[in-house]
Amino acid sequence: MENMLSKKLNRRRFIGLSSCALAGVAVGSQVKVLRALAMTGEVANVTAVTEKEVFTSCGMCVNKCGVIARVRDGVIYKLDPNPHFLKSRGMLCARGNSGVQSVYDPDRLKYPMIRVGERGAGQWRRASWDEALDLVAARLNEVADKYTRAGVMFASSEGFQEHFFLTFAECFGSPNTVRHASLCLASNMQGFGATFGSNPTPDVLNADYVIMSGANRSEALITPDSIDMVTGNGGKRKLVYLDPRFTKSAAKADEWYPIAPGSDLAFILAMIHVIVKEGLYNRSFIENRTVGFEALVPHIEPYTPEWAETECEISAENIRRIAREFAAAAPRAVYYQGRRSSFFDNDTQMRRAMAILNVIVGNWDVKGGMVPTQTIALSTHDYIAPWYSRLDAGTATFLSEKDGSWKHFRDRVLEGAPYPVKGMMVYKQNPVMSVPNREKTLKMMAQMDFICTIDVTMSDTAWYSDVVLPEATYLERLDPAHALSGIVPVVTYREPAIEPLFESKPNLWIMQQLAKRLGDEVYESFDFTMEEYLEHQTTRNPAILESLKKTGVYYEWTEPKYGTTAGQRLKTPSGKLEIYSERYAERGLDPLPVYSRVEQVPKGKYRIIVGRHAFFTQGTTQNNPYLNDIMPENTLWLNTREADRLGLKNGSKVRVRSAVGEEVLRLEATEKIRPDCVYMAHGFGAMSQGLSKVYSRGGCDAALIEDGVEPISGNVSMHQTFVEIMPA
Amino acid sequence: MKNKRYAIVLDTEKCLDCKACTVACKAENGVPLGRENYRNWVEEDELRGTYPNLGQSSTPGQCMHCGNAPCKRVCPTGATGASPEGIITVNDKKCIGCKYCMTACPYNARYYSEKLEAVDKCTFCQHRLAQGRLPACVETCPTKVRLFGDINDPESEVSKILAKRRSRVQKAEMGTKPYLFYLI
Repeated sequence: MENMLSKKLNRRRFIGLSSCALAGVAVGSQVKVLRALAMTGEVANVTAVTEKEVFTSCGMCVNKCGVIARVRDGVIYKLDPNPHFLKSRGMLCARGNSGVQSVYDPDRLKYPMIRVGERGAGQWRRASWDEALDLVAARLNEVADKYTRAGVMFASSEGFQEHFFLTFAECFGSPNTVRHASLCLASNMQGFGATFGSNPTPDVLNADYVIMSGANRSEALITPDSIDMVTGNGGKRKLVYLDPRFTKSAAKADEWYPIAPGSDLAFILAMIHVIVKEGLYNRSFIENRTVGFEALVPHIEPYTPEWAETECEISAENIRRIAREFAAAAPRAVYYQGRRSSFFDNDTQMRRAMAILNVIVGNWDVKGGMVPTQTIALSTHDYIAPWYSRLDAGTATFLSEKDGSWKHFRDRVLEGAPYPVKGMMVYKQNPVMSVPNREKTLKMMAQMDFICTIDVTMSDTAWYSDVVLPEATYLERLDPAHALSGIVPVVTYREPAIEPLFESKPNLWIMQQLAKRLGDEVYESFDFTMEEYLEHQTTRNPAILESLKKTGVYYEWTEPKYGTTAGQRLKTPSGKLEIYSERYAERGLDPLPVYSRVEQVPKGKYRIIVGRHAFFTQGTTQNNPYLNDIMPENTLWLNTREADRLGLKNGSKVRVRSAVGEEVLRLEATEKIRPDCVYMAHGFGAMSQGLSKVYSRGGCDAALIEDGVEPISGNVSMHQTFVEIMPA
Repeated sequence: MKNKRYAIVLDTEKCLDCKACTVACKAENGVPLGRENYRNWVEEDELRGTYPNLGQSSTPGQCMHCGNAPCKRVCPTGATGASPEGIITVNDKKCIGCKYCMTACPYNARYYSEKLEAVDKCTFCQHRLAQGRLPACVETCPTKVRLFGDINDPESEVSKILAKRRSRVQKAEMGTKPYLFYLI
């Protein structure tokens, strides 16, 4: 570990003291130095004297980077990267640094609130925890009595304390947990899972050749890939990047192609065609480790580069060259699968094709290839199988029991079939802002008898709730240990940097209090402290907790391991990498990916596409004062030539209209986008006045995007909406 | 032994324009909220070309801690000074807020802080250096665009990389002798 650290972070050597070495050490001597400097005017301001340093783990996005919170006089003033946390390569991004503001933002939720006016009218009264919790418990029981226990849905998103929310749903007796996966990576997990048996991790650090499509790693930061993409291999690797927009990743790429949206599958199939036809695949690997290659050979016959060129607008010549370069670089070559894959209704099959392309060049489980994702086992509580069928059962072919499908679930709530859902508990999710077709989400909520949201800010979803409960922020909580998977898996940890401000409470406490009110048999599952829970998690290996307390992290190994699956059965039906999927064939799905053209942009309209910024995490951080300073409002990107053609001035307000909604925002005429597409950043145009900086500022993409769905995984397809643009 | 002379070397090729350095600096140094208040920045350079042949780079910056600092020359009260290591400082007690220095700085590296009632700027996080830590912008950067160190020490990483690679300074023609070196 020490070796790894000095290698990765050797710039620290000039100072000869890592910041961790300071942890817990009194710094009185430095106070003297600083005071002396201040007397002579050499230091502007003698304030930064650390009193306490606390190990925590960033809560601003899914990466959960290791953090050292610096606390002075009971105030968190700075979050620094924890150098022991290797996965982030010793960094903390803008969002991570802005975490301080999530604690001290005047907009944060401070007290339990009960709605007094109409839903969404913003009239609230402050309530005591007892009153609010009594009300929530009573209303949950009412819904259960009137309908069934499955009549309450539990919407939540990932987080260290989400487990308790899901446990609560289970103890309450509802199978209807609806998580974020069907707005994000469900089709990715499905496509790669069907091929590899699991979702592998691309070894970006050691790859010589990386192709990224639908993954904007300079802006949609994923550790360590975003960093390794730029700095790995001494920056000598080749990066081929496909995106309808010239993003900050495009700016870093060796080659950028503004691919026709929805045609990535054509590009990949043509690459496979070239590699198979020219015999550039890894013969012995295919023989030993895969099934179904013989079916692939005739299957890819029609998918020539010349054919693909007409679909994806990348020249046959370039497709051929890229395919040859990719195969030549293999096994140190990856077609990077990205994370969010909610683009088109062919997404699972597109990810299958990506997976197959990786498989045939034999990059599995080797340095610079697709590496089995590893994790460190923590002890957990077992889940009891729910009594009822999920409301959305039987919709997508392979529906996740735990995640569900937002699109299908919402439709069935609106139909009231096969049974009514009239209660809604929300934890750390903001479906009003994040599920496409906002109007439908609001209708779904309007038919609920009761809605309670637990969050740190007054999200749009909280705004439309009946009771809002303030959760303590991640910097104010002792949390469960959390295993992050990857090539080098790690366990992270959160000690509270300060006590929860105002009347905010950790989610465990909230769940315990509700459980108590629902009866002894429910509370039994919550009768423990967080300290006891942490000990339970690490019973099998107490070294984990010791290491977490000492360094904020726990590793079992710090260098990548390759070849661990040699001679092992994979978690696919055949135990091998599945080029041809028998399982798909049995379910009436294409066992090999078949291309069909997505609906083309009608004349006079534009395809609306979504994407990320390094400043914001989905719809959650736009109101953060530090981050809002960077980007206070979103704009509608439109190609300069199109803007001229429509006579629309850069910076002027435009109306964007789709079949399901209409938004007004400022135009950004730019060269950075295909002429047939428009783009807007997510998370603006909020309806909640509790988000003072983004309330009514800019436009909300969820209000415009129609709710298409990918049929195999139930993931939404967000790039299938066409809009008109006019002056506002 | 020679005095220390601090410098930053930047490899802008690695810059993602993620603004981590900007936010880290604001938090570390208590820079007031607001886009007009900043001690460092990342500028998106002009877009090259037209669709679909495009290129763009970004350039982070901050006070260049000039060897021949115009801000220091114009300060009527001596509020702007230099530490032995070359860090250009502002003594907020002496600053009268005349903003001559802001006008004189060719890099737009200073802002007026309502909080301090004085002009404020990058100090290379002097207080962190005293604790044996790197400036916040240097430490937090995902791709480690900035290297910080003593340019008078030939063994320092900044000296080594400057010996190995070509670099430039901003607005060299103004004779300010900046100590932020941009690798070419």
